[in-house]
Amino acid sequence: MSSDGENDEFLYEDAYDDAFDQDDEVDDLDSMSEPDVYDALSPAIEEAPQRKPYDVSWKVKTLQEIIDMQTKEISKIQSVLEVPPSSAAILLRHYVWNSEKLQEQFWNDPASALEEAGLSPPSSPTTRTSTLPPSPTRRTTRSLKAGPSTSLPKRARSINTGSFECPICCMEFDELSVPSQTYSMGCEHRFCKDCWKEYLVVKIKGEGESAKIQCMESGCGRVVREEVIDDLVEKDVSRRYHNLLNAAFVADSSTLRWCPHPNCEYIIQCTQAPPRMLNQLVPTVECKCGHDLCFGCGYAASHRPVLCKIVRLWEKKCADDSETANWLQANTKECTKCQSTIEKNGGCNHMTCKKCKWEFCWVCMGPWSEHGTAWYQCNRFDEKSGIDARDTQAKSRASLERYLHYFSRWANHEHSAKLDGELYQKTEKKMEQMQNSGNLSWIEVQFAKQAVDVAIKARVTLKWSYCMAFYLKRNNMTELFEDNQRDLERAVETLGYSLEQSISDTESIAKLRQDITNQAAYVQKRHDILMDDTLKGYLERRWEFSVDI
Amino acid sequence: MSDARLRRVQKEIRDCAKDKTSNISIDMIDESPFHLIGAFPGPPDTPYEGGYYEVDIVIPDAYPFQPVKMKFITKVYHPNVSSASGAICLDILKDAWSPVLTLKSTLISLQSLLCDPVPNDPQDAEVAKHYLADRNSFNATAKHWAQAYAQAPAHKKQSEPGKVATDAEMAGLTEENVSGFTDMGFSREQVISILKKLNYRGNNVNPQSYNSVLEELLK
Repeated sequence: MSSDGENDEFLYEDAYDDAFDQDDEVDDLDSMSEPDVYDALSPAIEEAPQRKPYDVSWKVKTLQEIIDMQTKEISKIQSVLEVPPSSAAILLRHYVWNSEKLQEQFWNDPASALEEAGLSPPSSPTTRTSTLPPSPTRRTTRSLKAGPSTSLPKRARSINTGSFECPICCMEFDELSVPSQTYSMGCEHRFCKDCWKEYLVVKIKGEGESAKIQCMESGCGRVVREEVIDDLVEKDVSRRYHNLLNAAFVADSSTLRWCPHPNCEYIIQCTQAPPRMLNQLVPTVECKCGHDLCFGCGYAASHRPVLCKIVRLWEKKCADDSETANWLQANTKECTKCQSTIEKNGGCNHMTCKKCKWEFCWVCMGPWSEHGTAWYQCNRFDEKSGIDARDTQAKSRASLERYLHYFSRWANHEHSAKLDGELYQKTEKKMEQMQNSGNLSWIEVQFAKQAVDVAIKARVTLKWSYCMAFYLKRNNMTELFEDNQRDLERAVETLGYSLEQSISDTESIAKLRQDITNQAAYVQKRHDILMDDTLKGYLERRWEFSVDI
Repeated sequence: MSDARLRRVQKEIRDCAKDKTSNISIDMIDESPFHLIGAFPGPPDTPYEGGYYEVDIVIPDAYPFQPVKMKFITKVYHPNVSSASGAICLDILKDAWSPVLTLKSTLISLQSLLCDPVPNDPQDAEVAKHYLADRNSFNATAKHWAQAYAQAPAHKKQSEPGKVATDAEMAGLTEENVSGFTDMGFSREQVISILKKLNYRGNNVNPQSYNSVLEELLK
């Protein structure tokens, strides 16, 4: 078995070397036949052709487009259900913008659908419609021109008796000032406008509520309409309110996601990566701000080729375990029976596990019973039970070591990626140098920058490939994966070395330029192979993980 | 808006003083109308009957748009009230608050909370466990607390007149169970705190929990 394995590896090595040689030859040919190597290779370096089966398509939206999307939905529902636009908005928000479900429920029982969403039932249509502004485009324009004094319902019972006392601030209002100074949503709960205003400010600014601000009366579920809020509060609060509404719209939609990068206000729309597909897709998308993100989980960079769920597990594990694991490795052993981790902080080698009361020897890890009265004479190395005990111990250690193996490589690439800024600067300096001493044009030295880009991208992929490998079950597919990983890593290291080379004369510049261009092309190729194979592997369900996805 | 807040609180205090039927009082502690003491009698037909419960009331700046802060000053043995701090777990004091609710209506809600504990959403987990494990024993303890802390008169049926509840009874434990462990030489204080923590009552008194009590005591 083992010899077979070795043969396989040799075969693979050969194939790999061949591939490498061929690449070299091709590149050499290219460089010989084409005087301008950079131009000939640039398509390969720049971007692999789009639309692989595992790629998703996406659009980058502006906030205005998001607002328009809502307006469109609202006016659709408004005309279908024949309700005012703000009612349509409240209904849609209540049904989380699922217009099919909304229509089904509405046609089933209009009164209860309205009631549930926090609207008055249609039995009192006069109060409902009379409060509404005429323009349906109002929610986006947010004009404040329609005075509430003319549009408010004048139905509260207390008005008929003359004066009115606001039940919240206990202010008295006479009959004349009731319509202009107080407001009721038609649910018979009337309050003064100052109280409404104060309440809305606390809700919007203090609690960050938007779509579900209800009547102030305890237990009344009537939702406050947009235009009422716009009329009652100051402009800045109203702006915040609409921002919250938009944020809620994006948050509620499974096809929209805010770009997570600081100061970026774009929204990504992607319909091909619903949550149920995330066990076979890694929907990496690029925002207009120039940064990558994962549409599936909102990770603020590409974590390809690793699935979102695995990334989450890994991040959690790293946060919890890394430091602890290192310390455990150095300072503790496990109880040979219950595998509790034990730190020996003094005393003799006759250990009694606090948890399972198992007695064992700290030196040989064998059961203490076999030591008899031979105090501290641990000559039992070949005893079977001692070996068994050490075996289980070793297994538990091995899992820790395994984690640290992957973690240290992952962290190493993470660290390297952080140093990329420096590498960029260094490379830029070098490019200037080359232009000066090597008589190269600006465009001719761009190869160095391109190569750095390729190297950075490859490092990110390599970083995540270690996370992937940690969770992969050991099988032939995993071995192929690790072969690809090794090839990429080797290629990246070679390129990295070349990029760090200092330049002296014109001749060496020409050689270096050729080397770097070739190596970058090779890295790109290995990178694409690893990525392609891994991502296709999800679709083909080739990968087996040690955790449940 | 602080004018409105002051006006509203003053009116609430006035209205409450006028209303003699509800037996609820709201009084100022000092000059500030925003730090008050509310009080109400324990509801009838409960272990709290006859007790008199005082509540610390703090009016927040955004009152009545933010809920009032209330906690019991009088010690109460109740699943939704912390037996140590008096903190209260009640929805209207948090997200179900509405500006139309008043100090009086909130105090009435507290009163009815004493009638109907919600042990599944407890503030004091130990008390809630006691409530769920052995209702009679819980009621007895709540009564002892009412007598000891809320000036509830001692009932002849429950205990002999003049007899003060023992520390075991105050913790909802039987003297028999406590002395079982103190006889082994453990301190009474330690035994009571551990038996309370492990809810050593009713059906929980069995050999298995006996062992876990011993384990705790030996730690």
